[in-house]
Amino acid sequence: MTKVEASTTNNKRKVQFTSGRSIKSTMIYIVLSIYGLINVYPLIWMFINSFKSNAEFAKDSFGLPEVWQFENYARAWETANLDVYFLNSLIVSVTAVIVTVFAGAMASYFLSRFVFKGRKVLQSFFVFGLLIPIHATLVPMFILMRNIGLLDTHIGLILPYVAFNLPITIFLLVSFMESFPKDIEESAVMDGCGVFRIFWSIILPMTRPAIATVVILNVINNWNEFSFALVLINDDALKTLPYGLANFSGQYTTDYGSQMAGLTLAVIPIVIIYLLLEKQLVKGMTAGAVKG
Amino acid sequence: MHILSRNKGAILLGLAPALILYVVFAILPIVISFYYSLMDWDGLSEMEFIGLANFTEALNDDVFWQALVNNLYVVGASVFGQIPIALFVALLLNRKLRAGKLFRTLGFMPVVLSTVIISLVWGLMYNSRNGLFNQLLESVGLESWTQNWLGDPTWAMVSVCITIIWQFVGLYMIIFLAALQNIPREIYEASEIDGASGWKQTIHITLPMMWNTVVVAVMLCISGSLRTFDLIYVMTAGGPGHSTEVLAMYMFENTFNATRYGYGSAISLFIFFFSLALVFLSRVVLRRKNID
Repeated sequence: MTKVEASTTNNKRKVQFTSGRSIKSTMIYIVLSIYGLINVYPLIWMFINSFKSNAEFAKDSFGLPEVWQFENYARAWETANLDVYFLNSLIVSVTAVIVTVFAGAMASYFLSRFVFKGRKVLQSFFVFGLLIPIHATLVPMFILMRNIGLLDTHIGLILPYVAFNLPITIFLLVSFMESFPKDIEESAVMDGCGVFRIFWSIILPMTRPAIATVVILNVINNWNEFSFALVLINDDALKTLPYGLANFSGQYTTDYGSQMAGLTLAVIPIVIIYLLLEKQLVKGMTAGAVKG
Repeated sequence: MHILSRNKGAILLGLAPALILYVVFAILPIVISFYYSLMDWDGLSEMEFIGLANFTEALNDDVFWQALVNNLYVVGASVFGQIPIALFVALLLNRKLRAGKLFRTLGFMPVVLSTVIISLVWGLMYNSRNGLFNQLLESVGLESWTQNWLGDPTWAMVSVCITIIWQFVGLYMIIFLAALQNIPREIYEASEIDGASGWKQTIHITLPMMWNTVVVAVMLCISGSLRTFDLIYVMTAGGPGHSTEVLAMYMFENTFNATRYGYGSAISLFIFFFSLALVFLSRVVLRRKNID
C-alpha cells in the first residue's frame, strides 16, 4: 500500500517536474526566437523592400511586394558602380590579407619558437597596436600617404590595413604556435633544414587552423573598413564597397527600392562567407578574448 | 632553444617585414599625431608651433565637451545595453537546445556586416515618413508616438545608440558563450549535491567563474564604443545641430572639413587617452569587485 502511494506521488512529481521544465524551455525558445528575429529582421526587411516601388514602400514596408520590381536591382547595378567597388574591395582585402598573414605568421614564428633578447617586449609592442584607435592616425596617415605619393592608390589602402591587422594576427598566431611541443624542429635541423625551410614546411602547415581564423577575421575587417578608405581614397574608380555605398545612398536618397537592392547585393557575399565559415570564425573570435 | 637560437640574422630577417609595416603605418602615425597636435596647420601652408594651445582650446570648446558627453553616452549605452543582454542570451544558449546553433548564428550575424550597410539600413528604418518604426507605430494606432528619429535632437542619440547596441550584442554573446562552455561540468554537479540550482548556480558559480571574461568584454566594449565613427558619419554626420557629435566625428570635421590638422590631432589624442584611461579604470573597478 505505502509502496504504491509512494510510487504515485513520485510519478506525480515527475509529471509536474517535466511539465514545469517544458514550460521553461518553451519560454527560452520564445525569448531566443525574438532575439534571433531582431538580429536578422533588418536584413529581411531590406530584402523584401528591395523589390518594392517607392509608392508601395511608403504605403506599407511590412508585407511582401504586390508587384516584384526586379528592375530595382538592374537600376542599382547600373547606377551604383557596384562592380567597380566590389573589385576594389576584393583587390584591397585579398592583397592585405595575404601580406598580413605571411608577414604576421613569420614574425609569430620567430617570436614563439626562438629565444632572443627583447622577445617579450617585442611581442607586447605588437599587441599594443590593439589599443590604438585608428581615428587617431587618420591625419598623419593622410599626410604620410600624400608625401610618399600613395594617396588614391590601392597600395595606399593596403598598407594601413596590413599594419592594423598585424596585432590581432600576431596575438592569435603566437599563442597557437607556442603550444607546439618544444622539440618539434629538432629532427628537421638534424636533416639539415634551415629555419625558413622549417617555417615553410613544418610550422606553417601545423598552424593551418589558426591561420584560417586569422584569414577570416582579416577579410571581414578589411572588407568592411570605412575610415581609411574615406580619407585615403578620392577617385571614384578606386573606392571600396562601404565607401562607395555610403556615397551612392547619399546621391539617390529618394529611390528607396534601388537603394535597398544595392545594399542587398553588397550584403549577400559577406552573409554567404559568414554562413560557410561561421564555426571557424566563432572559434577564432573567442580564442583571444577568453584567454584575456 | 638549441641551434635555432643562434641564428640572429634569420630572426631579424623574419621579423623585419611585419615590424617595418607595423611601425611605419601604425606606430609612426600615432607618434606624428603628438607632433601635429602642437601645431597650427592647415595641411598646406607653413606649420606654426603653438605648444599646448590646441589642447586648451579643446577644453574650452563647448562642442568638444558635447562630443565627449555623447561618447560617454554611447559607452554607457553599450556597456549597460550590450553586456547584460549578451550575458542573458549566452546563459540561455548554454543549455542543450536543439536550435542552439541556429540562434548563435543569427545572433552573431550583425557583427560581420559592414557598419556602413547597417547605418544605411537602420537609417531607412528610422526614416520619418515611410520608415519601419513610424509605420509600425501607426499600424497599432500610436500615431502620436511617431518621431523624426534621426532628425530630432532629443531622439537622435537614442536612435543611434539602439543601432549600436544591436550591432554588437552578438560579439559579447559569443565571447560569453565560449567562457561558459569552458566551465567544467563537475562544478555544477557538485553544487547540485549541495542543493544549489537554477539562479543560485548562476549567481554563485557561473558568474564568478566567468568574471574575468566579463571584465575583458567590458573593456572591449568601452574602447570599441569610444571609437564610434562610421555609424555616426553615415547616419547623422553628428547632427542635428551637434546632438550626435562624438569625438571621432568632431576630429574628422575639424581636420578634413575645416582643415585644422593640429586641432584635429589634439582631439584624436584625447580619444587615445580617454580610451586608455577608461580601460584601466574599468579594470580597477571590476577587479576589486572580483576580490569581494
